[in-house]
Amino acid sequence: MDLSIKMLITAVAVPVFGAFLIPFAARISTAARNAFAVLLGLFTFVAAASLASTVLGGQTADFTLNFPRGFDLILHADLLSVFMASVSAFVSAVILIYSLDYISHYDNQTEYYAMVVLFLGSMMGLVFSANLLWMYVFWEMTGFASWRLVGFFRSDRDVAKANKTILVTVFGALCMLLGIIMVYFDHGTLDLRMLHGQAISYAAAAFILAGILSKSATLPFSTWLPDAGVAPSTVTSLLHAAVLVKIGVYAYARIFGVTFAAPDAFSNTVLYLAGASALVSAGAALIDTDIKRIIAYSTVSQIAFIFLGLASGNKTAFVGALLYILMHSVAKGGLFLCAGIIEQNTHTKDINKMGGLFASMPVTGTAFALCSLSVMGIPPFGGFFSKFLVFSGAAQNGNLAVLLMFLAGAVMTLLYLVRLFYKIFLGEPAGHGSPKEGSVTMVASVMALALIGLALGALIYYPSAYAELLTNTLGVNLQ
Amino acid sequence: MDKGLLAYLLIPLLSAVIIPFAARSRARLADILANVTLLAGLLNLAWLALRPSVIAGGFADIPGDGFSLLLVGAVYLVGLCVTFFSAWFMEDGQANRPAYYSLILASVSAMTGVVTTTDFFTLYVFIEVLAVTSFALITTDESTKGIEGALKYFFLTFPASALIIVGISILMLSLGSLSFETLRIFMASDVPPGPVTFAAALIMLGFLIKSGVVPFHAWTPDAYQGAYAPVSAHLAGIVTKISGVYAVVKLATLLRFFDGRAAALSEMLMFLGLLSIAVGALAALRQKDFKRMLAFSSISQVGYIVLAAGLGTPLAIMGAIFHLVNHATFKTVLFLNSASLEKSAGTTDMEKLGGMEHSMPWTSWTSVIALLSTAGVPPLSGFWSKLLIILALWEAGLRGYAALALLFSLVTLAYFMVMQRKVFFGKKTQAAESAPEVGAPLLAPVVLMSALIVALGLLFPYFYAYAKMVAERILL
Repeated sequence: MDLSIKMLITAVAVPVFGAFLIPFAARISTAARNAFAVLLGLFTFVAAASLASTVLGGQTADFTLNFPRGFDLILHADLLSVFMASVSAFVSAVILIYSLDYISHYDNQTEYYAMVVLFLGSMMGLVFSANLLWMYVFWEMTGFASWRLVGFFRSDRDVAKANKTILVTVFGALCMLLGIIMVYFDHGTLDLRMLHGQAISYAAAAFILAGILSKSATLPFSTWLPDAGVAPSTVTSLLHAAVLVKIGVYAYARIFGVTFAAPDAFSNTVLYLAGASALVSAGAALIDTDIKRIIAYSTVSQIAFIFLGLASGNKTAFVGALLYILMHSVAKGGLFLCAGIIEQNTHTKDINKMGGLFASMPVTGTAFALCSLSVMGIPPFGGFFSKFLVFSGAAQNGNLAVLLMFLAGAVMTLLYLVRLFYKIFLGEPAGHGSPKEGSVTMVASVMALALIGLALGALIYYPSAYAELLTNTLGVNLQ
Repeated sequence: MDKGLLAYLLIPLLSAVIIPFAARSRARLADILANVTLLAGLLNLAWLALRPSVIAGGFADIPGDGFSLLLVGAVYLVGLCVTFFSAWFMEDGQANRPAYYSLILASVSAMTGVVTTTDFFTLYVFIEVLAVTSFALITTDESTKGIEGALKYFFLTFPASALIIVGISILMLSLGSLSFETLRIFMASDVPPGPVTFAAALIMLGFLIKSGVVPFHAWTPDAYQGAYAPVSAHLAGIVTKISGVYAVVKLATLLRFFDGRAAALSEMLMFLGLLSIAVGALAALRQKDFKRMLAFSSISQVGYIVLAAGLGTPLAIMGAIFHLVNHATFKTVLFLNSASLEKSAGTTDMEKLGGMEHSMPWTSWTSVIALLSTAGVPPLSGFWSKLLIILALWEAGLRGYAALALLFSLVTLAYFMVMQRKVFFGKKTQAAESAPEVGAPLLAPVVLMSALIVALGLLFPYFYAYAKMVAERILL
């Protein structure tokens, strides 16, 4: 068997099965468990990233496990899946390292680590699956893991929020399964490689879209994400904001971007939905006072920009959307981790009770500012290039109403992030005791993410070359 | 009678007779005898069906139609789990210990009879034997509730038996034979069915009452809730499935629903199936008692099997068979766990329970596995069986049924989420503080069954091959 195929299998199998070994590692010692979990995360990232050389060389890696009725488990590494897998495995690995300190004084740690790794593994499975049914299988597995993670603290409120999360996403997933069944009977196969370039019926596309929107927390299914965001651990909400919602985006790119040729009317519907989602959630971010809810709403709003890029139907926008996934994961990850440090040290999530924190937390403040600038799309940060490409692609598409909605959304992004930064770090201190800087690993993680965001802007040539290659080789029906 | 499987009927019967004598001086001997009998039978079956050579050959070497063998396996497996569990669950001084095990073995033997028989009369006899053992088993702990449950079970299933015997008589009068084969050949011929469909409808009705399908479900929650705790697992996991649902599936295959000769009956069956799915799931949402919730969940899951049986295409029958087996695994886990809760925390009232995950982690996590499988969350076994049923519905052009059946999985998940929040996760209550995890022997059957749920899900291709073999043999 080829080495790249082995890497492909390990990238999925190691975290999925490794997750179930974590409780046994916990029997040995806490340190062994933590080390094992971090190792699993890093190993997955290395395995996924190592496939890059194969796919850049124009090759793909495939592995098939036969199931009856065309339900084969097909793992398929191409430019898109390797890109997505590397990004999410990287962010997840950072989360695992940051968790070492962050969650060290809470209950249920073993369950936490097991679920984060299981989440990572099912994410890998989802990304590499070239069979729609198995995408669904892994999709539900990520849903299960996030259910346990949102319900990490066990108060009635947290558990109710966890249940809300899983019910909304499972509802979407069931709609998606219905869409998949339609595809199955329309085309006689669920193998995405064979479905490449085929036309998809409007109904099937709409059902699949419902699943995607529910997972990526876009209107009309956006309510669960802010709720999941207030649920206990910031790390958890980060996992949702930076990784989980990308599942929906990835599925859109995979199914409607590089496999099926979606009807035009369908893409337009998506554009309007995304536009509404961008505006509504940006508005919510402007008025909310809970730091994690604001960042969660901001995520909902930013995800809509990615949909704008994916659904605009031309290459520029598609490249922009792919870059957006990367930039947003890094920058939003940084913001959430900063929020975690702030919350842990000030013991509040209410931004009205913060203020003047820059003096006591200079490093966190700087990292927060850098990440915010990237999300806003200020040059020379990475976020600028992705937002620029998405907008110029959308302008080519020529739908003025949509373009205006998103411009307003972008301006609001600027406003709520400036407001957030001002409320937290500048202005008068508002009686929060004596906050101090977070621990070294935590501050190092956020600073690393902030600097990576800057570096991605400076070295934009490489990611954009990759994204262009991807778009040119795999894109379907793009102008 | 499928003679190859006769031993599986006779040996437990023999044990049932021996136990009261053997255990006269040492009551513990009853436990051992019952467990050994069932374990031996199960190992024997595993040897028959799961040898590597048989698996590699696509199960072509399986004797008979394969359906009986599979269900005998399920009966023995659930029976073994229940007896093993009971051996540690029962109080030491309990007076009717030997009688209890005798009855369990007699019911295993009767169920084997039900699934191996090839004519309606024998079927009727074994169904009645099964019913009588069940009445007695429900009242094992001699509580008022148990007796109430048993009486309800008796009064509601008695008319069912009457309907069945009337149906059988009409069948005898019009066909001149009671063997399954005659009915099958008759339905495949061009002769107008006339009274035969009527007779089949009466028999079907009887079995639907026995399987607790809506609107004949009133007895199930009371019977399951009132029954002696391990007995409710036995009853919900396998007895009502064999005495009702199995017979419905069998009759569906005999009536050849897939070629439309008994279309009216098939449509009625599908409608009742969907109704059960909906009513059971919605009612389960509102239950306050763990066991009652499980009982309504059972009604809902039986709905899926009846829906598939009513459709009757080979794919649907495969789904029904798979779901029947799956249902036995996850309901046994859940009911045995409810028994553990009852033993440990002293109640199954969800309002009084809470935060059990800390005190009873194994019970909690096995329950989670079982409930996710019930709700059809992949990659557990329940997902595949539901998927097959839904694909079959879609393939037959019944898209509305397919979509509804699919979306009611969400309600299933919802009521289990309610249950999880109240019982396992969530705040610790007083009852939970003092509740210890039950011992390893009580956990062993539950863990075994949970492992089976995961394994059946991951080894779906093998099960699919088996079910395909069965569907080909019984339908073509």
